Order: sequence, then structure tokens, then C-alpha cells
Amino acid sequence: MRVSERGRRSSSAVLIYVIILMAMQVFLVTVAAEAFLADEAGLAWATAIVSVVLFAAAASFLRYLRP
Amino acid sequence: MTDRRAEPQPVAAPIWKRDFPYEAAAEEEVTRREFARFLVAGAGALALGNVGLAAWTQLRTINEGEPRAIVDAATVEVGSTYLFRYPTDADPAVLLRISDSDVVAFSQKCTHLGCVVYYEADEHRWHCPCHEGNFEAETGEVISGPPLRPLGRIDVEIRDDGMIWALGRSAA
Repeated sequence: MRVSERGRRSSSAVLIYVIILMAMQVFLVTVAAEAFLADEAGLAWATAIVSVVLFAAAASFLRYLRP
Repeated sequence: MTDRRAEPQPVAAPIWKRDFPYEAAAEEEVTRREFARFLVAGAGALALGNVGLAAWTQLRTINEGEPRAIVDAATVEVGSTYLFRYPTDADPAVLLRISDSDVVAFSQKCTHLGCVVYYEADEHRWHCPCHEGNFEAETGEVISGPPLRPLGRIDVEIRDDGMIWALGRSAA
């Protein structure tokens, strides 16, 4: 299958988005750990919600990634 | 008649592969889609971990401690400190006698990375030597350094029997 230059670039862009979202997830883990140690349940839940949203975004990006 | 254009052409091995013909048993190519799947799976695991951590934070109960006598107030001079453990033997704590009638106590664990803080009488503050964190002596609030949260406070009082009592641990 021949992949156009535009398709190749968009695939790379999607992959970079996923990598960035993954990096943000790692950062959110540190925030959650900090909230756990400080016993701040509100911050911990906010972190968890953002983390789930980022995961959903990363999963939805897979649709646009060429095989 | 066969179509020569349809026949796959053999791909010449790169020079480095001829020079170093080593191949791992599990060597295979990973497509970018597979790589992205690994990343998304990892992100999902981290999201699940964050949810679990939030639930754990919500549901756990922290030992706030039971009231108990710590030390005879007469043995702790004004401006001096006394080390004790509260609420459990694994929790180092320190109290500071501010005046004849006032005394404050805090967890001795720095809220940055858990090093032990000590009282600096000259500066009238709690000091963490690990990363130069400083806390206000009477409230435990952060003065400077990397800590973001105040020291964990322990409610204490001097009772009529002359003993200093720890009443419980307050939220930081």
C-alpha cells in the first residue's frame, strides 16, 4: 500500500500527540502521589479524572493512525 | 507470459548486516501503530493507577492518635524542644515550649521528602537540612525551601497535673 507524504506526516503527528499525552500521564502520576501523601482526596480525584480523559483522547487518536 | 514487474525484487542486506550478521531470536519490526498501541495501553494503566490512588486516598483512615501524656512540663524549659513519638512509635515528633503556658508540637517529618526537621533557636524556625526547607516555629507554615505543605501539627496542652498531653494529630 502506498502512503502519501501527507498521510505519513499526519501519522507522525498523531504519534507525537500520543507520546505527549503519555508524558502528561506520567506527570499526573506524580501529582496523584503527592495528593496521596498530603491526604488531599479532592486533588487525587481531579487528577484521576484528567488522567482518564487523557487516556480516552490518546485512545481516540489511534483511529487516525495508519497501520 | 509472466509479468516481470509484479515479481518481488530481492532486497540487498545492508553492509552492516553483512559485516555483523547477528540477529536476536525475538528480533522483529514494530510498526508505528503497534508502538502507539503500547503507549496507549501504558496510558490506560497509568489512568487506572491514578483512579486507584484516588480511591485509596478517599477510603483510607489515618491514625490521628489517642490522647496521652508525653512528658512532665517541668523538664522542658521555655525555648527548648523535646523529642517523642506520636501517634505510633514509627512517627517521630517534636514539641517546642514557647512560654510557661504555651507549647506546640509537630511531626518531625519534613513535608518535602520526609527528612527529620529540627529546631533552630537562633532563627526561631524548624529547619530541614536535606534541602534547606524552613518552617515557622509556632505554626509549622512553610517559610522557604522546596516544601509546599506545612508540618503535620499535633495538638498538645499542659494539663493541671503538670504533664504535657498530646491530644491528636491535625490535618496538615
